[in-house]
Amino acid sequence: MPCAEPLDARGRAGSLTGIAMAAADKHWNPYALLPARTTRMLGVGAVVTVLVLWAVVTGFGWIGPNKLPAPWQVAKAFAYLAWDGENQRSLLWNATLWSVGRVLAAGALVIAIGIPVGVLMGASPRVNATLSPLVDPFRSAPVVALLPIMVMWFGIGEWMKILFLYAGSVVYLIPMVRDAVRAVPQSYWIGARDLGATPWEAVRHAVLPLAMPRIADAVIVAVSVMWTYITVAEYVNAREGLGQLIQNARRFSAMDQVFAGIIVIIAFALLTYHFMRWIKGRLYPWETRV
Amino acid sequence: MTAATVSLELREIVQEYPGREGGVLRVINGVSLHFDRPGINMLLGPSGCGKSTLLHMMGGVRPIGVKTPTAGEVLIDGTPCHGAHDDVVMVFQRYANRPDLDVWNNVAFPFRLAHWRKRVPEAEWKARVDAMIDAVGLGAHRHHLPSQLSGGQNQRVALARALVLRPRVLLMDEPFGALDAQTRGEMQTLLVELHERHPCLVIFVTHDVTEALLLGDRVIVLSTQPAVVADDFSILEPRPRSAAWQRSSEAVRMEERILDRLHSRSGGPGSVVVTI
Repeated sequence: MPCAEPLDARGRAGSLTGIAMAAADKHWNPYALLPARTTRMLGVGAVVTVLVLWAVVTGFGWIGPNKLPAPWQVAKAFAYLAWDGENQRSLLWNATLWSVGRVLAAGALVIAIGIPVGVLMGASPRVNATLSPLVDPFRSAPVVALLPIMVMWFGIGEWMKILFLYAGSVVYLIPMVRDAVRAVPQSYWIGARDLGATPWEAVRHAVLPLAMPRIADAVIVAVSVMWTYITVAEYVNAREGLGQLIQNARRFSAMDQVFAGIIVIIAFALLTYHFMRWIKGRLYPWETRV
Repeated sequence: MTAATVSLELREIVQEYPGREGGVLRVINGVSLHFDRPGINMLLGPSGCGKSTLLHMMGGVRPIGVKTPTAGEVLIDGTPCHGAHDDVVMVFQRYANRPDLDVWNNVAFPFRLAHWRKRVPEAEWKARVDAMIDAVGLGAHRHHLPSQLSGGQNQRVALARALVLRPRVLLMDEPFGALDAQTRGEMQTLLVELHERHPCLVIFVTHDVTEALLLGDRVIVLSTQPAVVADDFSILEPRPRSAAWQRSSEAVRMEERILDRLHSRSGGPGSVVVTI
């Protein structure tokens, strides 16, 4: 029985076939590697099953279209939103540009402010002790309830929406960045100090580079959080945006358009997620091999 | 190559830590040592006896929140030394290579720091880095990342990074302890070669009696906690030391002597190993 199994990127043992595994171990074995084909089939199968169920309950009229529109109605609404031939415009394209713009602006703010603050907190227990009571509790704050406050403070313009997205996500980002810095083994800091680095140089040249992949993870989480808040951010006085599009459709009880809008937001959130994962992989190719 | 003169002295070092129930745990109990010439000095002792603490003290790595040393002084060239020192560089068992930098940039790491940039001109340090990478036998790997190297090769990178600064004192904290036997042998050979070419004062912490006899010009044996110097003797046999010498009556007597001294104060934690 071979005992030295090759480890894959996640540090799990490779194929466990070498260890005498009975067929019964196929289930409830967290370490078993599923063939890619099985993974895909199970995933696609689940989505198709839900679509079929959806089509059946709406097609037979068991659930009314004002509660749950049929898939084809959603598709039709999607087509209409994508291109309104009557008015020669694309509501969806316009709304998407606005929402993406807001997420980008808030994302830039989060990166420009949240990362430095998190790094300082991770690098200095003093800064952390000072700031963590001001940051950590807001992770469990009802961010949606902040909206009226944001309106009072920043009005109902564009800044309010961007700052709301920023506030909602930065409270997740800062603690994650701090923990990323603190997760770097102390030996790197000591080694750099011994070579003559100033404390800040040791942070900058020995600790921070190792924390970068996890900091990138924090950014990915923060941006994902923003996509979940976009509808709330665009609740007040938005004339454009995906969230506004959904709000508007809801007001006219156009459930098909509500569904189409939600699907588009999910699609964009997934797209940004995978795009950022890809960028992270390009920036830190060594990360999975440490 | 003539070696730079150096003097490193430990004077009546005592180290205590706050123990449980308000007591005081004395780890090092009055250790005085003087190193005044280049050579490989083996600091041998059971694990947990405080030999790493002593080495860190010499390297200027002090724990936070505890006065180190509790009493006594570390003197370099006769001057008391409290922090990191230009002429003293440490190599750890955990080699702490930057995973995002290739071999060349890892060896050149100290020159990212203002301290060394100010002192060494760019052309010179680049030439030194190149030469040192060749010296540790990584010439073919200079553009590889640490993840593409073996444990021994990574430790070679760490060794090169330390020696590229041309320290007069090299402190090694069980540097080969995590390597497999064959790689450890290769690294020991490399250290002997490098020391032959660039002699400096090496203080090498180990809990391996065989390694101490293989490498040391001088062997210092520490007792179990609280550590005192239990023995301190020289080995005159020139390096590289053959397997025949290691089996000779002289070597066997030394080994028995070390083991005897280590066991003379039993009851403490830890133990030593003998690998042959």
